[in-house]
Amino acid sequence: MLVDLQQAFELVFLDPMIWLIVIGSAFYGVFLGAMPGLTATMGVALFVPITFWMEPIPALAAIVTMVACAIFAGDIPTTLMRVPGTPASAAYADDAYALARRGESDRALGHSLWFSVCGGVLGAIILMLMGSQLAKLASWFSVAEYFWLYVLGLSCAVVVGKEGVIRSAFGLCVGILFANIGLSAVHGQARFTFGHPELFQGINFIPAMIGLFGLSEVLRGAMQPGDACDDQSGAAGDGRLLGGALMTMKNRLPAWLRSSGIGSLIGVLPGAGADMAAWVCVAVSKRFSRNPEGYGKGSINGIADACAGNSSSLAGAWVPALVFGIPGDSVTAIVIGVLYMKDLKPGPEIFEQQGSTVYSIYLIFLLANFILLPVGWLAIRLGRQVLRVPRAVLLPIVAVFCIVGSFAVNGSRFDIGLMMFFGVVGLVCERVRVSIGALVLGLILGGPLEERFVQTVTGSQGSLLGFVDRPASFLLAIACGVIWCRMVYVATRQKSIG
Amino acid sequence: MNRTIFFRFCIGFLSLIAIGCQQDVVYPSQPITLLCPWSAGGGTDRVSRQIAMQLEQSLGVPVNVINATGGSGVTGHTRGAQARPDGYTLAMVTVELNMLHWRGLTSITYEDFEPLQLLNRDSAAIFVLDESPIETLDELEVAIGERPGEIKASGTAAGGIWHVAVAGWLNSRGGDPTAANWISINGAGPSVQELNAGGLDFICCSLPEVDAMLASGAVRCLGVMADQRIEGFEQVPTFKEQGHQWSLAGWRGLAVPIGLPEDRVEVLQSAMRSIGQSDELRDFMMQAGFNLSIEGPEDFRATLASQDEIFEEVLTGPAFQSMQGDSFGPFVFPFIVGLAACGLIVLMWITGESPQENAGRGEGSIRGAILTLSACCFYLLVSESLGFVLAVGLTLVVMLTVHGKVLDGSRFFRFSLPFSFVCSAVLYQLFAVGLRVPLPRGLLGW
Repeated sequence: MLVDLQQAFELVFLDPMIWLIVIGSAFYGVFLGAMPGLTATMGVALFVPITFWMEPIPALAAIVTMVACAIFAGDIPTTLMRVPGTPASAAYADDAYALARRGESDRALGHSLWFSVCGGVLGAIILMLMGSQLAKLASWFSVAEYFWLYVLGLSCAVVVGKEGVIRSAFGLCVGILFANIGLSAVHGQARFTFGHPELFQGINFIPAMIGLFGLSEVLRGAMQPGDACDDQSGAAGDGRLLGGALMTMKNRLPAWLRSSGIGSLIGVLPGAGADMAAWVCVAVSKRFSRNPEGYGKGSINGIADACAGNSSSLAGAWVPALVFGIPGDSVTAIVIGVLYMKDLKPGPEIFEQQGSTVYSIYLIFLLANFILLPVGWLAIRLGRQVLRVPRAVLLPIVAVFCIVGSFAVNGSRFDIGLMMFFGVVGLVCERVRVSIGALVLGLILGGPLEERFVQTVTGSQGSLLGFVDRPASFLLAIACGVIWCRMVYVATRQKSIG
Repeated sequence: MNRTIFFRFCIGFLSLIAIGCQQDVVYPSQPITLLCPWSAGGGTDRVSRQIAMQLEQSLGVPVNVINATGGSGVTGHTRGAQARPDGYTLAMVTVELNMLHWRGLTSITYEDFEPLQLLNRDSAAIFVLDESPIETLDELEVAIGERPGEIKASGTAAGGIWHVAVAGWLNSRGGDPTAANWISINGAGPSVQELNAGGLDFICCSLPEVDAMLASGAVRCLGVMADQRIEGFEQVPTFKEQGHQWSLAGWRGLAVPIGLPEDRVEVLQSAMRSIGQSDELRDFMMQAGFNLSIEGPEDFRATLASQDEIFEEVLTGPAFQSMQGDSFGPFVFPFIVGLAACGLIVLMWITGESPQENAGRGEGSIRGAILTLSACCFYLLVSESLGFVLAVGLTLVVMLTVHGKVLDGSRFFRFSLPFSFVCSAVLYQLFAVGLRVPLPRGLLGW
């Protein structure tokens, strides 16, 4: 291992080419993440034809860096314009935007940058040390375990929601129902499409998310033109981006370790990625917080923990891809293709046979996160110019970005209509105080949840025992049960006090 | 003052038009879109991007891949077939083209496409875990026959190509095609994961999809549904060798919507001919583990027709029809969630705070919101004909007016109008040129 590590070190850190590629990709990744509707997946897919002419390590370096930087950059539009750049930012969109409206956008983004970097670094180190052991974790997870894992993730949205248990759970159900529109993945039959072929593909959650958060904010601005004329968010804070984050870090070392650990564990499981990690970390953070009421209304600790979590989960997705050839997310699906191109066969022996390549990937994760610090800092400096634009001009531009962003995902005009529809839904939800965050998570996880549910039931030939007849699924089921009991308890106690 | 700015703006605008105007005399002169019905990163996506890159070299215009995913391939194939037949939209078609219409999911058939070239063909194969007691195909067949419903299998969603492969195989042996309990798992990757976790007894998918596990010895391949052994997987026996007369393969090919003018078909066909013979494509397919199988337009059409008959037989057969009516129907899960939602509404009502109360922030007039939405609708309606830059520019002008509540001359001409069009031009450069998002081009070319 040490020899491999040393080789990898030479491959990565002593090659000026790698440095150049990492810096270039960092800018590209930050740009992709910051543009609503553009995803790291899309950037990587665009990049693949170029990898044909590259050596394996530089090619992987570019992909790793793009991914690692895009996840942070998603927070920039989330904070400044309330348009989540990546689904992972939806978990703390309300917190970040609330801070920005109070003139603390620098503090919010500083924390998100710093904790993304720290989480990413820790995630890479954890996987470097324990990657092959963690890979075994994935082999315990059958469909039943995944079902409980998704339930756990969804429960987190209810824990986090500032609207209270009932309203958050309601938002969740609405989200899941929206996710059921279209061709059912398990049955291959159309549902709730009313004969429209466009609805066969279901609700694409990226345009939906852009509408729910971004367009609804624009619409609200348009309804209060007087308010919109005021240039109220103006001052962008005290300009100390990272100072505050360092202070938080000093006080919250255990929270950082906890979030990065959770993120890495979730990342290793194929089918559960950065968005899930962010939600779970916010929920855990709220549970252990001395001030749980602040979550969803501008809690800096929630942002810090979630950023550490989603950033650390990224490296995890590479473990099942490398060890089993099973992609952990859409980016690693592309990576597997690139690996084959370069005659690097993924497989259980990859840690022994291609040790230096595997370690270089994790070293690149480290390098990318270090580079992200200055690049992200620059991006925040640039991004905050947005706040100088009067809201009367900014909101129309946000609306255009919503339109272009939702079109860019799939190149479909239908998605623009979808985005508009969800903009109205978002407006209504806010009026009746139904959690938008929970709705988005329901929309993202609703499909997989149903799939796992039906798969488990068909596997056990209709018996519900199939959900709990394996040790791992039994434990997860108990965990879910405990969380729900606690939530009901808290809800009833709040009511009796109220 | 106002006037000079206005004139400057007009000059700038006219020069923009001059740059954007392209005469569409030679084909191709605009970027081409290649629709891929499956998601980024999958096998079809990789093939699409390789073809796009090579087409770009030989045609001299950008070829952009769009992943029109969803609905088990319905979305991509439908969009491909219904695209304007001007040669600027190509479609990657896959084996599902022969299957979807027999399952009643779409009315699109292979006859809606003008086939250009068949690219690859990957045969189905059956895999078990190394520690599985089942050693041969015959043993598997016996095991399924003896304990119907207990042997769990997957590889794709119910009704997908690999499901049909297994059902067709059992059917060809005179067995009950529903005897293997097919768990509907989307994609080979998650199926391998499930096999690994001990949730399945065997999986059926193509060889390259399980390559990593096969090479390491974690899984064994019982047989591949092809007539000859596959290049690169010579150790894997075929079904035929083991006395099972059954073969089935998934394929991918390039096609255009029907009705494309003859001369443009010619251009694309000759480009594809040289690509099909290139070493570059051969190397790519080899390394990616795909089984290169080039067929020209006529052969491709014949293949499509013969495949269609095979799938008709399997998919419309009584056995497969009965399988569709699963015990756990598509509406059960939405029903449960809907019930939960209703329960929560009741709870909200009981706890005394009805949703209509506590209306969030200040009221405000609904007019602004409606105007903003109408501006978006306006964009949707006119973008195709006006092109992106004009449509977005006009939309922005409207919205700036709504939000700023200003329509007095000075600010309108000095700020809103020039600002909107500069913004939209910059956005166009960024997305369409920089990131290759095929924004609507309209009559003027942008």
